[in-house]
Amino acid sequence: MMKHIEEVKNNLQDEIKLVTTLKDADQLKIKYLGRKGIINDLMRIIPTIPSDQRASFGQQINSLKVEITNIIEELIKKFSSETVPKAKKEIFDVTLPGKHPFVGKRHPLTQTIDDIKEVFARLGFDVAYGPEVESEYYNFEALNIPADHPSRTDFDTFYIKNDVLLRSQTSTVQIRIMEKQKPPIRIIAPGRVYRPDTVDARHSFMFHQVEGLLVDEGVSFADLKGVLNQFIKTYFGQNVQMRLRPSFFPFTEPSAEVDISCSICGGNGCSVCSYSGWVEILGAGMVDPNVFKAVHYDAEKYTGFAFGMGVERITMLKYGINDIRLFYENDMRFLSQF
Amino acid sequence: MKISYNWLKEYVNFYLSPEELADKLTNVGLVVADIQTVDDDFCMEVEVTSNRPDCLGFIGIAREVVAAVGGSLHFPETDYKTTNKEISKFINVVVEDSMLCPRYTARVVQHINLGPSPEWMQKRLKCIGLRPVNNIVDITNYVMMETGQPLHAFDLDKLSDKKIVVRKAMSGEEIVAINGARRALFHDMLVIADSKRPIAIAGIMGGKETEVCDSTRNILLECAQFEPRQVRRTSKTLGITSDSSYRFERGVDTEGVDFASRRAVKLIKEYAGGEVANGVIDIRSRKHAASKITLRMERLHKVLGIEIKRDVASDILKRLQFNVLNEVDDFIDVEVPSFREEIYREIDLIEEIARIYGFNNIPTKTSISVRGSVKSKYEVVEDCIRQFLIGMGFYEVKTFSIVDTSPLQSVNLWSDKSGIDIANPLRQEESRLRTCLLPSLINAKRYNENHGIEQVRIFEIAKVYLAGDKLPQEKTCLSILADTDFFTLKGIVSALLLNLGISSRCEWTVFSELRLFADERAARIQSGNITIGYIGEASKELGFKTSPCMVELDMDYFVESSNISKKYQALSQYPHVLRDLAIIVDEEVTWVSIEKCVMSAKASFLKEINFFDVYRGKQIPSGKKSIAFNICFQAADRTLKSEEVDAAQQIVLDALYKTLGAELRK
Repeated sequence: MMKHIEEVKNNLQDEIKLVTTLKDADQLKIKYLGRKGIINDLMRIIPTIPSDQRASFGQQINSLKVEITNIIEELIKKFSSETVPKAKKEIFDVTLPGKHPFVGKRHPLTQTIDDIKEVFARLGFDVAYGPEVESEYYNFEALNIPADHPSRTDFDTFYIKNDVLLRSQTSTVQIRIMEKQKPPIRIIAPGRVYRPDTVDARHSFMFHQVEGLLVDEGVSFADLKGVLNQFIKTYFGQNVQMRLRPSFFPFTEPSAEVDISCSICGGNGCSVCSYSGWVEILGAGMVDPNVFKAVHYDAEKYTGFAFGMGVERITMLKYGINDIRLFYENDMRFLSQF
Repeated sequence: MKISYNWLKEYVNFYLSPEELADKLTNVGLVVADIQTVDDDFCMEVEVTSNRPDCLGFIGIAREVVAAVGGSLHFPETDYKTTNKEISKFINVVVEDSMLCPRYTARVVQHINLGPSPEWMQKRLKCIGLRPVNNIVDITNYVMMETGQPLHAFDLDKLSDKKIVVRKAMSGEEIVAINGARRALFHDMLVIADSKRPIAIAGIMGGKETEVCDSTRNILLECAQFEPRQVRRTSKTLGITSDSSYRFERGVDTEGVDFASRRAVKLIKEYAGGEVANGVIDIRSRKHAASKITLRMERLHKVLGIEIKRDVASDILKRLQFNVLNEVDDFIDVEVPSFREEIYREIDLIEEIARIYGFNNIPTKTSISVRGSVKSKYEVVEDCIRQFLIGMGFYEVKTFSIVDTSPLQSVNLWSDKSGIDIANPLRQEESRLRTCLLPSLINAKRYNENHGIEQVRIFEIAKVYLAGDKLPQEKTCLSILADTDFFTLKGIVSALLLNLGISSRCEWTVFSELRLFADERAARIQSGNITIGYIGEASKELGFKTSPCMVELDMDYFVESSNISKKYQALSQYPHVLRDLAIIVDEEVTWVSIEKCVMSAKASFLKEINFFDVYRGKQIPSGKKSIAFNICFQAADRTLKSEEVDAAQQIVLDALYKTLGAELRK
């Protein structure tokens, strides 16, 4: 048997010398490796061989087959490049663009809400939710905004029917939570709010707010400043400055509007900050004792602070977006930018 | 409120540039939104919050300047000479409703010379955007701006029977206001009338017929206090607002009424001449009772988180013209001035002190206690879904909860009640709370198509609003619209459920909602008896260039049934065996029946069945289809032998043949 194999090897060596064209090489391939070729002939002998030698013989045929294949392929390659000398080699162009996978995005407003949630989660705030369709009590009375009070002019509201309305602020969640829980309380409440504003570049009848509330013993205005300052530095950057201005909200006292130094102009004045160097980003204050009264908290024992911010506004500031309507048009060219 | 920089100096001395002044005012809570140069003066736009009607006049703002930078307040002159003719000879005033008109004063000036007001006055009025009219009207405006107290001058000779009655309007009455607006009046509105007819809408606007005009010689000057809510309601109902109603509805200083009247008369006498009748008609139902408040220094410290010395606090209160009655130990007792009626509690005083002390001078503390926050299940599930879909290449969109009432937007998959209408919508386009998210996604798809973007993969997580008892049920839904085929989207939904650890099997049954979905190409998705969503190909009627598929799912169900906690399952040591099969069945046979049949065939070692494809064609008899799938066998304790698998497979094939008449495709 081994003799067969040696013979085949020797014959091949001789025949190789005779190959001068691609055609010769192809013929040689058929002779040795074809369906009725020499290798296959050898294979057919296998069953006739004593079983103890079969395995080693089979292995030898295989290695012979590999050897012959390599030699003949080498020849074919050699002559084919000679016969078609002008054919240019394919170039693997690494500069061709990659195939873009589908990549989805969170809506920019969700990104802002998530970022805000994350900063406050680090400060120990849980996330709370409340209904968007509310009774007047939660939107007004419990928040120290009595009926026909002049401050109601600041809170134009969509009504469903008497006493049922679309919440105009997420502060409603403060009441919902305090009714259910005893202090200490530390929550933020993101969500949709509604006000009958005619839509333009800066107004929308629906927008998003994030409300915050912290109630405990011994909480002070200085703590409010501490928490807000922490949020502002983390969210807007370590170099951003915070400024508080006295303001008025019926549900907090003292009340403040909180400005940050304009990130666009660095405080030098530009159109974004109306040349004041400051941009208003949120409203805040110490929870008004009347609000505590509404939820039966002891206003002597507990103090707390609340704050609220507009998500659209913060997002617009952060990315320099100049039209609030873009958030609700959902143009892919817009959404893909964030 | 607009103020003039030069005019303000009349009441307080300060050495601040307009910008510096703006800063000081802003820091005490009077935001200066804008400064404009007007000739040699500056017009400053001051934003006055609704709790500070006292700052709707120059004197009030000057008081804040004093509190912020020191100095003293200068009150303007109010002295003038009168004749000895008593006012009662000229006019008789009756206040019928003293609740709605707590104070009414009238003064009479005769033989005035109507003409232009002095140039300095015109200049000041123009600086703050008021148009000069004549000396009488200009003076009433000037004094209103000075004191925050509105005034009105009537032509005395046009009042029937020399009579003023402050009363409710009677049915059928109407009035033409100075601005030319004709309005029908209702019985709940307060008017100023003479003996015959209304001559002014109380606190809002005077009537055309009795206004001061070129022929006017004698005037009656009204200066009053009206109940804020009444003014607000009436102004809203009639759709008339004015500088006067703006102030009355926020509340004027009851003690400042007579001062403003005297101030106006002094200016009239000086710049329009005439003779002032002796005395005043001053009808008031009650005297102002000043509230007294005790401030505890310890409470001040507790709320603000800074120790402010008692003398510093009391000095601030004094500068704000609070009357400090007593200062001992840790207490300050004060009496609140009449122009600050909104202050009645200790916390209100604390705010005043903090405001003037400076919010920015209060320290920024970081000493709140440590607390770990916990994510609710809702948040975990929402994050998980969002992440999953974004990973699948979906964009999140946000659309309005308030929609139109078109048939498409009226689709309600979740309830048979109709949508909830807004009672006071701005526009028809936004007049109802939505009951389904998909129409909004369809609009978003259309918007993109119109802007040249044909392929979208979008989703939204938001609420739908279903009519309920008092408050509606707010159901959170997840809706997806994608330019994929039905089964790709179905696969995404199934994978999502799996990802949320929802293992219970869903049933998918044919569903029809032709406003959304193509006929016979939509399904209701149920888990047990609960419908958890609807899926289908978009109806051709929607007119898209592509054929997207959509699904709306019940997020609340996801949150409830999700099982995010994971437990490790031991990996099998032994290989599974896969067998590929193709069977020929009748067209009516559904995959789910094949699956059921296979899984319930009691074949040993059967793990799962996986669908490949459906084929209908040449080799398949008509009315039949070939379904290819594989079945997977595995034993927990050993490698299966080929014969074992063969036997099990045969059991499966037998069951398929027996139950569904399925033949193995050769």
